[in-house]
Amino acid sequence: MVLLELNHLRLYYKTVRGIVRAVDDVDLNVEPGEAVGVVGESGCGKTSMANAIIKMLPSNVALYDGRIILDGLNIVELPEDEVRRKVRWRQISIVFQGAMNVLNPVIKVGHQVAEPLIIHAEMDRDEAYKIAMEKMKLVGLHEEVFNRYPHELSGGMKQRVVIAMALVMNPKIVILDEPTSALDVSIQAQIMNLLKKLKRELNISMIFITHDIALASDISDKIAVMYAGQVVEIGSAEQVLLSPKHPYTQKLLKATPKLTGEEKPEFIPGTPPDLVNPPSGCRFHPRCPYVMDICREKEPGRFEPEKSQRVMCWLYGGENE
Amino acid sequence: MGLTRTLSIRALTLITVLILVVFFIVIILGATGTSDKILQAMVNEEVMMLRQSLAKTIKDPQELEKVIEIRKQGLMEFYGLTKPWYVRLPDMAWRVLTLDLGKARTLKTFAGGNKVSDIVMERLTNTIILVTSATVISAIVGLVLGVRIATRVGGILDRISSYLSAISYAIPTWWIGIILILVFAFLLRLFPFGGLYSTPPPSDFYMKLLDILWHAALPVATLVIASVGVWIYTTRTIVLNTAQEDFVNAARAKGLPEELVRRRYIMRVAAPPILTNVILGLATSISGAILTETVFNWPGLGRLFYDAVLVMDEVVVIALTYIFTLVYVVARFLLEVLYVILDPRVRY
Amino acid sequence: MSERFKEALQEFWRLNVSKIGVAFLTILVILSIYVIATYPLDFGVRYWNNPVYWADYPKSAPPSWINYFSHEKIPEHHVFSSDKPSNTSVTESGKRLMYLFKLDFQADRTPTFLSLSIKNVTYYGKPAMIRLNVTRPDGKNIELYRYTVPAPYGDESPPYRRFYDQPKRISLTGDMSVASTLARFLLREYNVTVKPSEVNSIGQHTVIFSVPKNNTQFNVLKGGYVFYIIVDTYDPRDTIGEVKLVVGGDVYGFMGTDSLGRDLSVGLLFGFPIALFIGVVTSTITTLLGAGLGIVGGYVGGKLDEVIQRTADFVNNIPLLPLLIFLAFILGQNIWIIVFLLIVFGWPTLTIIVRSMVLQLKSGQFIEAAIAIGAPRWWIMFRHIFPQVAPFVFAQLIFFTPTFILLEAALSFLGLGDPTMPTWGQILEYGFRSGGIYVGLWWWIIPPGLLIIWTAITFVLIALGMEPVVNPRLRRMK
Repeated sequence: MVLLELNHLRLYYKTVRGIVRAVDDVDLNVEPGEAVGVVGESGCGKTSMANAIIKMLPSNVALYDGRIILDGLNIVELPEDEVRRKVRWRQISIVFQGAMNVLNPVIKVGHQVAEPLIIHAEMDRDEAYKIAMEKMKLVGLHEEVFNRYPHELSGGMKQRVVIAMALVMNPKIVILDEPTSALDVSIQAQIMNLLKKLKRELNISMIFITHDIALASDISDKIAVMYAGQVVEIGSAEQVLLSPKHPYTQKLLKATPKLTGEEKPEFIPGTPPDLVNPPSGCRFHPRCPYVMDICREKEPGRFEPEKSQRVMCWLYGGENE
Repeated sequence: MGLTRTLSIRALTLITVLILVVFFIVIILGATGTSDKILQAMVNEEVMMLRQSLAKTIKDPQELEKVIEIRKQGLMEFYGLTKPWYVRLPDMAWRVLTLDLGKARTLKTFAGGNKVSDIVMERLTNTIILVTSATVISAIVGLVLGVRIATRVGGILDRISSYLSAISYAIPTWWIGIILILVFAFLLRLFPFGGLYSTPPPSDFYMKLLDILWHAALPVATLVIASVGVWIYTTRTIVLNTAQEDFVNAARAKGLPEELVRRRYIMRVAAPPILTNVILGLATSISGAILTETVFNWPGLGRLFYDAVLVMDEVVVIALTYIFTLVYVVARFLLEVLYVILDPRVRY
Repeated sequence: MSERFKEALQEFWRLNVSKIGVAFLTILVILSIYVIATYPLDFGVRYWNNPVYWADYPKSAPPSWINYFSHEKIPEHHVFSSDKPSNTSVTESGKRLMYLFKLDFQADRTPTFLSLSIKNVTYYGKPAMIRLNVTRPDGKNIELYRYTVPAPYGDESPPYRRFYDQPKRISLTGDMSVASTLARFLLREYNVTVKPSEVNSIGQHTVIFSVPKNNTQFNVLKGGYVFYIIVDTYDPRDTIGEVKLVVGGDVYGFMGTDSLGRDLSVGLLFGFPIALFIGVVTSTITTLLGAGLGIVGGYVGGKLDEVIQRTADFVNNIPLLPLLIFLAFILGQNIWIIVFLLIVFGWPTLTIIVRSMVLQLKSGQFIEAAIAIGAPRWWIMFRHIFPQVAPFVFAQLIFFTPTFILLEAALSFLGLGDPTMPTWGQILEYGFRSGGIYVGLWWWIIPPGLLIIWTAITFVLIALGMEPVVNPRLRRMK
């Protein structure tokens, strides 16, 4: 029983240079209790997809359509007010890079964690504070952190606060957008362990967005690889990591340094694609080692070389499949 | 708690400034011989009064002179005139601090008395009325318009306000006042030329209040015109910058209503830097008050300063320099209290 | 290094504000140079503050160009003077010097007075004789006045010098002999009987410039008037200095006059170099001092830094104007003292900013490298750190200039300016103090303020133009 279903999701922006096709016809499903890793280079549309899911649209949106089905509702068509009241934070919450600037600097962090309860659930303060305190303990914070201000906390602590905040209304899905990029490696490990623990104990679904495929592999059940606004490969973590089908995924994996073995990491030649004028046909074709004529002309279909592993690549199917 | 510690340190700093300024004033006075002049004047004053009272009892003129001379010597010693000026420093400093400076040379209080401390204190309220109303009006207009413009960046209002703001940096406040008088008092005869109330002032309380308001209109307008450009521009810039911060976006993602986001995540966070600008503009407000009161003959401390300089009444000049510094220090401290309450990041 | 400079210059020149600012600045500089070249240095004391010099000028007169806007043409004030005669001829007894002054009179009202002055007369024998004649537009000629220079005193010996300290001023207005002459003239030419005392009350100047309708009403006679001043001298060594004829009017000059009769265009012009001087000099010294202290404090650190910081903090915590007034009051009203005070109060702002910039720069690698090769501290500060902060400092210099100009104007307005130099603030101060606003003397009140504003805006514009150069983040934002 699918929890969240993304169907032909598109999000385009208007800019001075033209229309940026940040999310271009994305299909993605999230099961209950499942962690989906979304991996890709900066600017490939991962954050835009996160914004699209909770309908946080910028003022220069050019196109936003498709279907985002959650609990029978299509978020794309839901009016803003209802999205705000029913979906955001209650059903789907999001963890930004908390070590950065995501907390209000003049309000105590405890209150910020409790805030959604006071506003959405209309709880009274004491009750909300109690629950917030619980969540903060759950993420491993000492209870005196409640009354602190963000500038008094370390990066790791702030990230935990942000996680606690995301969990406060017991959402069904938590989106995590580069939750550890700004942290030291050792803190990174701590946070990852925390996330894995929470996933186990609370059985929440996660969408884990990162540029680091190795990091994604730590927690994801399913991995989706994004390139130029499209999901070029999606499958179980095992499938994607051990038998990657899309040339881009293969290159990504080869670019990761390995502890064992003689292999040196390879870099991916060429430059990231321009989302205003993406390359014709398959967007990866200028950088693909296996490029064929058809790749330059037609956008590849979605093929399923193994069960539950989908690829957008002409290597795995012809025009008529 | 961080709050009290921070505030105590600020209070201490400001008090130190005040004391240092007083000492500075006193040193300059001593070094230029002015304090000698003043104290001598005080002595002579007392001697004169003494002469009058003694003349009633001692009839022999020679006897009178002898007694007066003895008393005079006593007074000179008492006031420290027999010692060099730097020895008198602490004493003189205390005099300034408590406004124990004797009588003004020519200036008088409204009632006709001429004790310096009286003259100065009775005008304090007038200045405070003027400056506070102007500040409140500027603040309200500045904040409202600044926020409005921040939501419509690049629009016509935005461009007009930035030009106005740049120009208001170049225009002397007092000249605005002069022009206002020329246009509204002389040409259009809508407002009075200056002063606190008409002569004779109306007897009815409400009419009196209205009369004062009518007289205050142009001076307050002058102060507001001079400062509102800066208020609008800085509010706009700060609110704009704050609105683009990550936590504002995160607040919306949390599903918080826009009204709450605006209040608690934008305005509340923008308040401290806006307040900083107010603090920085405090000294300018004081200068503006001095000059505007002069132009409009508004009987406050500023106008008194002008009058004292004009008639070379040193004691009053000294008293006013001190009072202005005191007012500045107190106002600064109050604003900083407000700032520390608003912004937890600056607490130690 | 010059490559960057050229690039910066190009960037600066791109914006319109820069061009306008520089254009304004050029005008200011040209006017200032003109003033410095043509005015004496003690202009303030010798001319401006000397009421005698302005005795012949109308008091509180609006500028003459307001005649273009009024339906009634107001008589203009004219001052004719010459120290060389237009014509010299020889008579049987000596020399005759003739001074010709032509006036095309087109006002709708007669002038306000008429006066004649002579200066620096030297004679050896018989005292010189001076006559004043006028030929009116209707062809009629009047010998208005005859005057003989005072004869030698008992103990005097030649050469006899007269009117060297003070010129001799003869006012035809109010002079009864002129009144009698005019009464005769009126009777002879117009057959109108007016008693000399009546001529006096109507005004000699009125009668000279008008045609009688009857014996009480006079109509203005417009047209060309020629005034002849004929000086007869009797010894070849006799000399006469300046001869001046004043036809009084109610409007004068390009900018009008103040209540003492001073030509405001002259006074205002003098303000240009002073304003520029005060602004630029004070700003330069203040910024250099402030930046210098900031660099030294920031780089050297330690006790020195502490001291500089605390002092800067202290000065910043003092309310500016009251202390400035106090010090100017006690120490004296002198331009140099004012400049000094402005510098004393101005340096901390820059020191604090520059210091924090230096603190950031200090940890840069190029500094480490310089230290590693053994460069001495002052070398590092001067050759490595200063060039980094220089663009910002320079921009601040420009930006602060108007502040100082305005501060000086404020001090002058409060009466603490340097009385020997007429600055715009001082002109305004006098206008205010003498009640000019209350009687609507707009030509006295508005221009000085406008000039202050214009000068300040010039620098603001240039500073705005420099902003993208100094702050590269703002470049190419349009």
